Amino acid sequence: MLSRVAASLYWLSRYVERSDGILRMLKINYASSQDTVQEFTWEPVIRIFAGHDEETQKLGNDSRAVMRYMVCGKNNPNSILNIITLARENARGVQEHITKDLWQCLNEYYHTVKDNRIDNALKKDDPVSVLDVLIKQVMLYYGTVEITMERGEGRSYMNIGKYLERGIQSVDILDTKFGSIDDNPDLLTDTTYWKHLLLSLGGYELYLKTYREGFEAENVLEQVVLNNDFPRSVIYSVNHIQRYFERLKNDSNIDDYRELSFYIGRLQSHIKYSSVKTIKEEGLHLFLTQIRSQLYGIGDALNNHYFANS
Amino acid sequence: MQESSYFSQYSPIKGVWDEMYGENDIRDHYSKVIDYLSRESAEDLSRKEELAKRLFMSQGITFTVYSSGEGIEKIFPFDIIPRIITADEWAFVEKGIKQRLNALNLFLKDVYNNQFIVKDGIVPIDIIYSCPHFLREMYQLQVPYDIYVHIAGIDLIRDHDGTFYVLEDNLRTPSGVSYMLENREITKRLFPDLMPQCSVRSVTEYPTILYKNLLSLSPRQISNPTIVLLSPGIYNSAYFEHTTLARLMGVELVEGRDLVVKNQKVYMKTTIGLQQVDVIYRRVDDEYLDPLVFNPASILGVAGIMGAYRTGNVAIVNAIGNGVADDKAVYAYVPEMIKYYLNEEPILKNVPTYQLSNQDEREHVFENINKMVVKKTNGSGGYGMLMGHASSDEEIEDYKKEILKDPRNFIAQPTISLSAAPCYMQGGLHPRRIDLRPYALCGPDGIEIVPGGLTRVALKEGSLVVNSSQGGGSKDTWVLA
Repeated sequence: MLSRVAASLYWLSRYVERSDGILRMLKINYASSQDTVQEFTWEPVIRIFAGHDEETQKLGNDSRAVMRYMVCGKNNPNSILNIITLARENARGVQEHITKDLWQCLNEYYHTVKDNRIDNALKKDDPVSVLDVLIKQVMLYYGTVEITMERGEGRSYMNIGKYLERGIQSVDILDTKFGSIDDNPDLLTDTTYWKHLLLSLGGYELYLKTYREGFEAENVLEQVVLNNDFPRSVIYSVNHIQRYFERLKNDSNIDDYRELSFYIGRLQSHIKYSSVKTIKEEGLHLFLTQIRSQLYGIGDALNNHYFANS
Repeated sequence: MQESSYFSQYSPIKGVWDEMYGENDIRDHYSKVIDYLSRESAEDLSRKEELAKRLFMSQGITFTVYSSGEGIEKIFPFDIIPRIITADEWAFVEKGIKQRLNALNLFLKDVYNNQFIVKDGIVPIDIIYSCPHFLREMYQLQVPYDIYVHIAGIDLIRDHDGTFYVLEDNLRTPSGVSYMLENREITKRLFPDLMPQCSVRSVTEYPTILYKNLLSLSPRQISNPTIVLLSPGIYNSAYFEHTTLARLMGVELVEGRDLVVKNQKVYMKTTIGLQQVDVIYRRVDDEYLDPLVFNPASILGVAGIMGAYRTGNVAIVNAIGNGVADDKAVYAYVPEMIKYYLNEEPILKNVPTYQLSNQDEREHVFENINKMVVKKTNGSGGYGMLMGHASSDEEIEDYKKEILKDPRNFIAQPTISLSAAPCYMQGGLHPRRIDLRPYALCGPDGIEIVPGGLTRVALKEGSLVVNSSQGGGSKDTWVLA
């Protein structure tokens, strides 16, 4: 497979996964902003997905303004509009490597988010309906990938991109949410705070089934980092990166393969042989920072060894 | 059966061949379609028109126009009423194109080797050497099976009595074939059951034939040669076509940056290292193909590819340097070529062409400029043309000055009136001018033409220019069995 094609498939997949994370985050935060006695803050969402600058300062805590910026913001490089445009550009460059169904699906996602009606509805109508329309596009995308894409090299790159992006997101969300406790220790015992975190990751039901004693920060941490069965946990993502990377093994570039395989294995072991107790001893922020930089390291190594960008 | 009002209102243009309307009556080969359509109301047809637009859009059959930093998706305008060609008309066209393409391939071989046609005084030497697309780099380069033109998109028009004329020979990188294929798919959706009733011949064989031909050109005798389609990339307006063809043939779509030349062999950069490329169907113009030989600023091509081509390590389709055969000044000599190489009478007529480098012809053209179309010899896309009957005196004077600066660059032809076909617009049927571009594929087994082609249509009332860059659209093109 062409290096450029592999890189495009990987990025296309990362962008769609990112859009999924953003949309779910927005949906839950909006719900949460309607359900609080204290002043609700969008600050963590902006910090994770957009970063701080003059423009995001101006948004303040105006929910509709934040959502419009995150969904349709032309100047926000991480808005759904911009990342789906990029996803589609990547797909356009590799159309003969994805199925026609998948191309049409992405194309439709793009035209949906580009439609002015989305922005207008975020201004006036029920924002949850708007977000649901877009989330449905992502679900269609995943269904289409699952049903139509051949089980080959291309899909492995797509899956590596998807799980790398997901792992980074989960780490970022945990880091931000737990970081806020340092400023506001009351949050530690605030059950709605943890409930919303789980909801935004789609892990609420699983949590209820696993832990009977209510919402505890430590249990949340355990589920989001270490639970092998939770599809958005860090370990789940890393296991899947490893699984799809193994399929790329080929005699003609065995050195490149070994190097990446080493990075992935090391990261996997690091998480696998951690527990809530060791993470706390090590310091959560430090732990998450290391995981994040190792995830980035895998992305860089792919870029150098497989995407011919070295 | 009640005829819908939009049919009774159809009025053919006087003095123009109408594809649908004969002497006071609908031609036989259109009658079944008209029967079908007259059962639909104007609203039904408008809905179908909407559906067609939506299908093009949702399938991404679009090109992007960039303005103020934002990409706007456009679709190539499509008229829902098919253009129909009878079996007899097609048999004639097919025979004519095959003959013409045979002669043009022989001409290219000759002009880049022994130049007998020049030595025998059939084609003047200066017209060849002054053509910017005549490439000395091609001199005595041996191409597989002596085929230079693997894919030709010869443009045909019909004048007032329905006679076919060749308007131009596109022998470099003719485009539009994906629209031949997609228009057909859309028509299937718009008019269920209509096509089987009318016994329309299928066009779906095109990618299969092209692939078979590409495969036969591989310099390496191996079971699975690597064939690629070289595209300038996603910002090219024909990018949709490139991906469609690559997908339908199952070949790799590459850009210049994906390829590299080592030891006069072409490789593509893959995730498992370099892989040798055997056949390149390129959609990049000669000029941009190799920065070491042609335009040094080009980043669309591959440095060293010309060397690999000369060595015979890679086949390139179409051959480089074909522009000398579809140059508009050389065009005038094609009937002579057919007689010279094949000893046959030309089947398809040429439009009479005046060389403006010849003083007598130039004066004749200047005197009759209102009845003339003046074109640049290496122009395309309908740019830089002067339509004498539709230009102001001032425009004509300015254009004459341009001509006198470099007369070799211009030819003139009498205005041919182009046939008309019914188009559905503004809730009614209106005649609009059309041309026809069938796609001929030339391989070791001979020339094959899928029954169909691209019918381009000048959507503006009274316009004679069908180019998509000048407000033209297209129609599905039916050849009846």
